[in-house]
Amino acid sequence: MTYHFDFGAVLAHWPLLLEGVWTTLRLTLFSTVFGILIGAFCAVIRTGGPTWARAVVSLYVEFIRNTPLLVQSYFLIFGIASLGIRLPILIGATIALTVNIGAYTTEIVRAGIESIHRGQLEAATCLGLSRTQTYLHVIIRPALERVYPALASQYVLLMLASSIVSSVGVEELFGMSNRIQSETFRNFEIFVVLGVIYLLLAVLVRTGFALLGLAIFPRRRKLGTPL
Amino acid sequence: MRHFGKALTAAVILVAALSQAASADTLDKIKSAGVIRIAIDLSVPPWSFKDENLNPTGSEVEAAKLLASDLGVKMEIVSTNGANRIPFLLSNRTDVVMSALSITDERKKLIAFSLPYAGATTYVAAPKSMDIRTLADLSGKRIAVTRGTTNDADLTAAAPRDAEIIRFEDEATTMTSVVSNQVDLVAQVPTLVDLINKKNPAKNLEPKLPLRTALMGVGMRKEDAELKQWVDAWVKTNIANGKLQEVFKKFQGTDLPKEVVTASQ
Repeated sequence: MTYHFDFGAVLAHWPLLLEGVWTTLRLTLFSTVFGILIGAFCAVIRTGGPTWARAVVSLYVEFIRNTPLLVQSYFLIFGIASLGIRLPILIGATIALTVNIGAYTTEIVRAGIESIHRGQLEAATCLGLSRTQTYLHVIIRPALERVYPALASQYVLLMLASSIVSSVGVEELFGMSNRIQSETFRNFEIFVVLGVIYLLLAVLVRTGFALLGLAIFPRRRKLGTPL
Repeated sequence: MRHFGKALTAAVILVAALSQAASADTLDKIKSAGVIRIAIDLSVPPWSFKDENLNPTGSEVEAAKLLASDLGVKMEIVSTNGANRIPFLLSNRTDVVMSALSITDERKKLIAFSLPYAGATTYVAAPKSMDIRTLADLSGKRIAVTRGTTNDADLTAAAPRDAEIIRFEDEATTMTSVVSNQVDLVAQVPTLVDLINKKNPAKNLEPKLPLRTALMGVGMRKEDAELKQWVDAWVKTNIANGKLQEVFKKFQGTDLPKEVVTASQ
C-alpha cells in the first residue's frame, strides 16, 4: 500500500478547475433566481388558483419530482434536438436544472404558505389590503421566511446536483475534473481536490443565502429571532 | 550423499537442456508443430468478429489466415480481449497477436512489432454539405468527442481556440449527441461514424480532416528474432502484391491508410 500523492499534477490544471467552478456557479445562480420565481408563482397557484391551474401545476410538480434529473437533462439536450429544436448545451442544462428545482421549490413554498394562520389573512382584509398586497406582504414573505432554511438546503443540493449535467456535455466542475483525470490519471488526488472545492462552494452558497435572508426579511434583521 | 550430488548434477543439466529448448525460436516450434497460435479479440467488427454462422472473420482474421497459409501451417485462434492481448503473448499462451494492435512506444518496451500491416485513421467527420478543408475551418464550430480519448487529446491540440469542443462521458453519448442533431461534427473512429450514418442517414457524415493514423503490427515476444524476421518479410511481400490491401478494403470499406503502405515498402 504505497501510493505517492502528487497534488502538483492536479493543481497545475488550475485554470481548468477555475473555469469549472465558474460554470458551476453560473448554473447555480441562474437556476436559483428562476427556480425561486417559478416556485413562488406555482406555490401561489397550487394553494389559491383555479382548479384547472392547480391540476397543471400539480402535474408539473409530480412529474419532475418523480423522474431523475439525468433523464430530464437528456430529454432537453438530446430529445428536443431530435425534433429539430437545438438548444445550446449550457442553456439546455440551465433550463433542466431550473425546471427541476422549480418543482421542489413549489412544494417547499407551498408548505410555507399553508402555515400562514387564517387570522393573518382576516387581519389583512380588515386593514383593507388588496389581494396583491395581501399576497406580497402577508402571505409570500412570511411563508418564505418560515421555510427559508429548507430552501437554502435545497439550493445547496442543487449546486451539488449540477454535477449531473456533466454527462450531457457541460464542462462544469465535475466535467472539468474528469478531463484533468483523463490527462493526469491522478484520480485519487482529483477527488480530494474536488471534495474540498465542492465543500467551499457549499459554504459559499449557504453564506449567500444567509446574507440574502438578512436583506429580504427585515423582521429577522431587526429582531434576530426566527419567525 | 554422492548419489545426491549426481542427481543434482543431472537435474541441473536437465533444467539447462529444457530451458535451452524453451528459448529455441518460436518459429521452429511453429513449423515443427504445424500450428501457429494467433491471439485475436473476436468482438471488434469489422476487424475481427464472428459471422452469422459463428465463424471468425474480419480483416484481422483474414490477414491471420493469409499469414498461416504462407507459413505453411494451420492457424489456431486464441480468443482474447483488448486488455489481454499483450499479457497472453508474454505468458506464452499465444505465438503472435494480430488484433488491431496499434504500435506505440509504451508497448514497444514490452513486445516486438512487425512492420505495419494495417492501420486506422481517426477523422473529424462532418455532414457532406459542410465546407471543411483545413483545421482553421473548424473555428466557431461545435464538435462532439468522448472525454479522455486520444481523439479528445488530438482534437484539443489541433482545433482552433474558438472551436467549441463538447465532451461527453462515453462513445454512446457522443453518438447520441450527433444522431439527435444536437451536434453536427464529431471526432470518432470511422466505424462509429458509419454507425451514426446508419442510425440517422440524414446526417450524411463523411471524414473531413485526419487527426491521427495508428499503425498496427503483428505483436511478438522480443526474443523471437527469427519469427520477427520472417513476419517482416511476409508483410513486405503482401503489401507489395496488394493482398493485405485487398483484405483490408474488403472488410473496412476504405483503403489501407497510405502511411501503412509507405512504412512497409
